[in-house]
Amino acid sequence: MKRSVPFEIFRYAAILAAMAVTLVPILWMVSMAFKPIGEWSATGADLTWWPRQPTLANFQFVFGHSTNDLIVALDHTAVKPILSSLLSAVFGTVIAMSAGTAAAYGLSRFGSGQNLPLALIQLRLFPPMAVMIPVMIMWAFLNLNDTWWGLALIYGIVTLPFAFWLMKTFFDDLPREIEEAALVEGCSRLRVFTRITLPMMRAPLASAALFVFILNWSDYLIALLLTTREWVTIPVYMASLSSSMTGQLYGAKAALGLIAAVPPVIMGIAIQRHLVRGLTFGALKQ
Amino acid sequence: MSAVTATIAEDKMEARTKPATPNEGARLGFRLTLPAQILVLFISAFPLLMQLYISVTDWSPLSGIGWWNAWEMWNSFANYTDLAADTRFWSALQRTAIVMLVCVPAEFLLGLALATLFADDFPGKRIFYSILLMPMMVVPAVAGYMFFMLFQSGGPVNDILSRIVGGPVTIAWLSDPTLALIAVMVADIWQWTPLMFLILLAGLVGVPEDQMKAATLLGANAWQRFTTIVLPKMKTIIIIALAIRVIENFKIFDTLYIMTGGGPGVATETISVYIYKVTTQDLIWGYVAAIALAILIVLSIVAVYAMKRMAKGREVPV
Repeated sequence: MKRSVPFEIFRYAAILAAMAVTLVPILWMVSMAFKPIGEWSATGADLTWWPRQPTLANFQFVFGHSTNDLIVALDHTAVKPILSSLLSAVFGTVIAMSAGTAAAYGLSRFGSGQNLPLALIQLRLFPPMAVMIPVMIMWAFLNLNDTWWGLALIYGIVTLPFAFWLMKTFFDDLPREIEEAALVEGCSRLRVFTRITLPMMRAPLASAALFVFILNWSDYLIALLLTTREWVTIPVYMASLSSSMTGQLYGAKAALGLIAAVPPVIMGIAIQRHLVRGLTFGALKQ
Repeated sequence: MSAVTATIAEDKMEARTKPATPNEGARLGFRLTLPAQILVLFISAFPLLMQLYISVTDWSPLSGIGWWNAWEMWNSFANYTDLAADTRFWSALQRTAIVMLVCVPAEFLLGLALATLFADDFPGKRIFYSILLMPMMVVPAVAGYMFFMLFQSGGPVNDILSRIVGGPVTIAWLSDPTLALIAVMVADIWQWTPLMFLILLAGLVGVPEDQMKAATLLGANAWQRFTTIVLPKMKTIIIIALAIRVIENFKIFDTLYIMTGGGPGVATETISVYIYKVTTQDLIWGYVAAIALAILIVLSIVAVYAMKRMAKGREVPV
């Protein structure tokens, strides 16, 4: 439909306003990450929207290099939290995607596990806080507290609903003719699944895995409860920096925030096409 | 005639795809779903029984006995009667409801307005779209830290305000009970309006254009087209979008806890923050189990209802 000129002006004005609101918080953190300590909490007339003397000192600081301005010593550097975030999110994704994909295929093709759709929606519905007491007790019993593999296991379970529902809708959409042709050729059903269906689903699998990874990477609450020192993740580590005696380490925390924020934003843009499907449990497709 | 041929063809197909052994498919299906079933059982059945058991005792990790011996601390449902009289719990619940009643409608209306602007093509649409979606991909804890910085009394929000009013503004956003709650809600709206926008836009482009054109020819204005064609077509999608946000908003923790820690005092203490504090500071896990179970039961009922809606939604061609 052709729109009028005033409408176009209004549209661009509204979108630009929305863009400003969207970007200011992000840009403020980016700017803070590159500010030297003197500009961190400058207020009033001294408040700078962009660093006057951009520096990498904040990044060097969180990786353990002491700088002249910062006399604080870190208990441990950001290296291990980054490793913890990566390992737990990656292996959590592996668990969720393996169990979820297999189960989705089982339900989509053979009608097995009819209870799973509702059970998994319920799993998603519960606030993690409301099931954490037994989980903390079980994890302590299994010696999984404060380990990245313990986090990976709970992440795998927490994001299983998304992996399952996403893959189920992808399988439901896939025409069965090719699989049926392979069956006629004498392939076993398992072979059809591993050699024919899965390779055809490479792109949807990758999108679903990225989606699940973003969710795992974004966690804060579970890591806060299940890790204490050795394997804290980036968000937990970032939050813990504030309790040091020199007050807020604005720049250092912003640098960590930036490190945490970049991967999911890039991945999210890469899988934009499937976001609606993922977020609505496949109820909507784009 | 053609119908008969089709039936025969279907029968042939059935015959061809029949597995060599009759139950091969069923057995493979069972094996494929087994890992997921085990994980679900692992996280539901046993933990629920454990939670139920602990919830009728005074057990805490500091009580010096294993949780399986918690029966020694049996307190004959005192946790549940305590819960009914726990003003801090009820006010946390009330606060969670207030946050939800402000945030979800605000996100919905802003998202719908944005989606309307994006309904047809215009230059720059793709890049604007990608940028506007960014907040929902930012790690919530990091978003919390962003807004923690923004709302400092010497921070950028006050800087913008002071430029507008022309004098220094030093509002202590996060240390005032009311303002802190507003700041927390602003952060939630910033982060999740994009989700509403994304879902509603997906629904909006599914509204058939010929119907819109026909309505225009019949003299319907934009508002009439919106209320008589667009809204009814999008009903299910709107319900799904609202349901998702209501569910997620009820759990609100990360951004809020990083920004205010539930404070000042208990001014921004929502249900998740309250449970977190009782779990980690007061350590009365028997009581936490009782709160958690009460919430789980209520939410389970909601789940069944939401599930029915979702099933309906899938029939809508989008």
